[in-house]
Amino acid sequence: MRRWGTAAAVALMVVGCAPGIRSAGPADGDARPATAGDLRGVQIDYTYFTDGPDEQATRDQLAKFETETGAKVKLRVVAFADNERTLQAQLSAGDPPDVARVLNIYPFADAALDLRPYLHDQGMNSAFSDAMMAQARGPQGELLGVPSDLTMNGPLINRDLFDRAGVPVPDRWTWPELVTAARQVQAATGTPYALAMDKSGHRLSTMLSQYGTTFFGTDGKPALDIGRATRALALFAELHDTGAMPKDFWLESGSRYKGANEIFLSQATPVYLSGNWQVSQLAKTAPFRWSAAPDPCAERCGGFPGGKHTMVFKEARHPRAGAALLEWLNTAEHQREFAAQAMYLPTRKDLTEQGVDYPRRGSDMRVFLDEVERTPPDTYASNASPSFSRGAEALVDEVSRMLAGQKSPAGAAKSLRDRVDRLYREANR
Amino acid sequence: MRRRNLAPYLFLAPNLVLFAVFVLYPALNGVNISLYDSTNGRTFRFVGTRNYRELVGTDAFREAITNTAVFVACFVVLATVVAVGLAALLQRGLPGSGFYRAVFFVPVLLSPIVVGLVWSWLLERRGGLVNTALGAVGLPEPGWLIDPSLTMGVSVFVAVWLHVGLYTLIVLAALRAIDPRTLEAATMDGASARQRFWHVTLPQIQPSVLVVVIVSTVDGFKTFDLLYTLTGGGPVGATTLLLQYVYEQAFKPPIRYGLAAAGSVVLFLVILAVTVVQFVVARRRELL
Repeated sequence: MRRWGTAAAVALMVVGCAPGIRSAGPADGDARPATAGDLRGVQIDYTYFTDGPDEQATRDQLAKFETETGAKVKLRVVAFADNERTLQAQLSAGDPPDVARVLNIYPFADAALDLRPYLHDQGMNSAFSDAMMAQARGPQGELLGVPSDLTMNGPLINRDLFDRAGVPVPDRWTWPELVTAARQVQAATGTPYALAMDKSGHRLSTMLSQYGTTFFGTDGKPALDIGRATRALALFAELHDTGAMPKDFWLESGSRYKGANEIFLSQATPVYLSGNWQVSQLAKTAPFRWSAAPDPCAERCGGFPGGKHTMVFKEARHPRAGAALLEWLNTAEHQREFAAQAMYLPTRKDLTEQGVDYPRRGSDMRVFLDEVERTPPDTYASNASPSFSRGAEALVDEVSRMLAGQKSPAGAAKSLRDRVDRLYREANR
Repeated sequence: MRRRNLAPYLFLAPNLVLFAVFVLYPALNGVNISLYDSTNGRTFRFVGTRNYRELVGTDAFREAITNTAVFVACFVVLATVVAVGLAALLQRGLPGSGFYRAVFFVPVLLSPIVVGLVWSWLLERRGGLVNTALGAVGLPEPGWLIDPSLTMGVSVFVAVWLHVGLYTLIVLAALRAIDPRTLEAATMDGASARQRFWHVTLPQIQPSVLVVVIVSTVDGFKTFDLLYTLTGGGPVGATTLLLQYVYEQAFKPPIRYGLAAAGSVVLFLVILAVTVVQFVVARRRELL
């Protein structure tokens, strides 16, 4: 009996404490912009994930920063899937990097350095559009990070197949026009499919938006309209049921993401619904003529945004130097250079207005940049919601059930609305 | 006297320390974390049993429990039967049995991730090797990985293919330890081959078969990487097991450590209950 009592006491001692760590303030003293002396000889740790073409562009930028300032930047590249987990583990251990590239800021908002007192140029505070700043702005107006690159979803088309079929690509098109054109090309050229889309709730959110609805509205509350979502999903189901889109592709990989770029690259489809981040890769690998095409309209036009952020941590060893690096990387000059080399869309308002001179495939990048202006504000708000990722997973799950014949489009849309409501309640509990 | 009593504990101490630091403490802390809510691993909010109540009320969790029960039951039965059957065949010393013993064992040496990926390519409905072969002889080409009614069976088959080599070796070792005179005596008494197997061979290899049952049960519950690469838990959650559910709560953003820890505790309790039942049955039959 005594033995059990001792064991229970030990167990209670182990589990009786709340897990977690205490947070501390910035490690290198007072909050002010870095001087030249603060940077010389300092090693800045930068945790980064890459989408491919951006890595070399980032390395080139960092080499330039090192030459200009005398600082050393240690770039630690981690897999995208491990990025959030790695950073959370580093924060738990009290040893975060100075700077990090992240998909979303909100999981780290409590650990983010308010950049405002560290900026040399306070213009950085208002350099980005409000829509893109949704995650970067704290409740008291803090600047928790900056949107460092923007992505825009949209179609890519195989020009060779369209030309062979004699089907023109218009400057603007609706969903029925896009589907008709894709089917004509499929029939004329004998491709297995007419369209392919990455298996992703984010990509499918583009279609929902074009049919007039998003998971969350500009006020951050659930906004999914069941009727509009049903119309979008009904078309999506019909495209799969008739073989215009590959149903196996959507069902085979379970809950895992799957890109449809191989289907496009093997010329098994004339239309690929993805986004601008494919441009650089396709420019290198596609053995045929291709181009970006405008997003199709239904009830409204535009694409669906995504993007990455850069942030500095409060508990970093060199937050002042980290903030200096972040500011340097996101000046108009350096962001323009980065966007041009990586073939990314800029996030600064001035660059969005002026455009970027891309050394190649500039006309395709212009197509995506034009969509930025047409894309409705609620898409940015929805994508910035802390519950968006879960909502996108729920969308993949509901669509899979619909394609497997377990649910109707209306049933899937209704279930999706219920799940979005539940996610919102959980996030605000 | 005291010094003599201390010696065994000193020998055990290094292992006990490692066990306490890397197994016991994390396990107890896992129970602790299951009572908190955390989306980042740094800030924890005490929620009592809410994570457990949320699990019970979640369709995906209930589906994962059902899938796990079906998968483990089918896997254990099929793996054990196949292992005993293959071992019996190999024991007969047919030509090439040494070669086949190596062939059956090779999958055990492969990474489950590689096995999952290779089988997922083999079983693709369009262009997969299996369906191409079926189509070539005019047979239907099923959607092995997209038809919810087929995918669980396929998953069990691939898991058995991966593990059965090791189980076969365990049973084969037991078969080789049987005194041949007992079989000769049964033959002289007029027992048929089937009777010899059921009434002479099987009772003597029961302890090894029980080991196979216990090991395959644990392997079944621990299956994650194989199915994650083979089916991704799909289609529509048809092969999502408890471990994948826990993984997705813990490591797929947005992170929910408390919910994942609660799922782990449930998994631990299920495995504990099944193992205890197996040991009690074995003790009663004096197999252990």
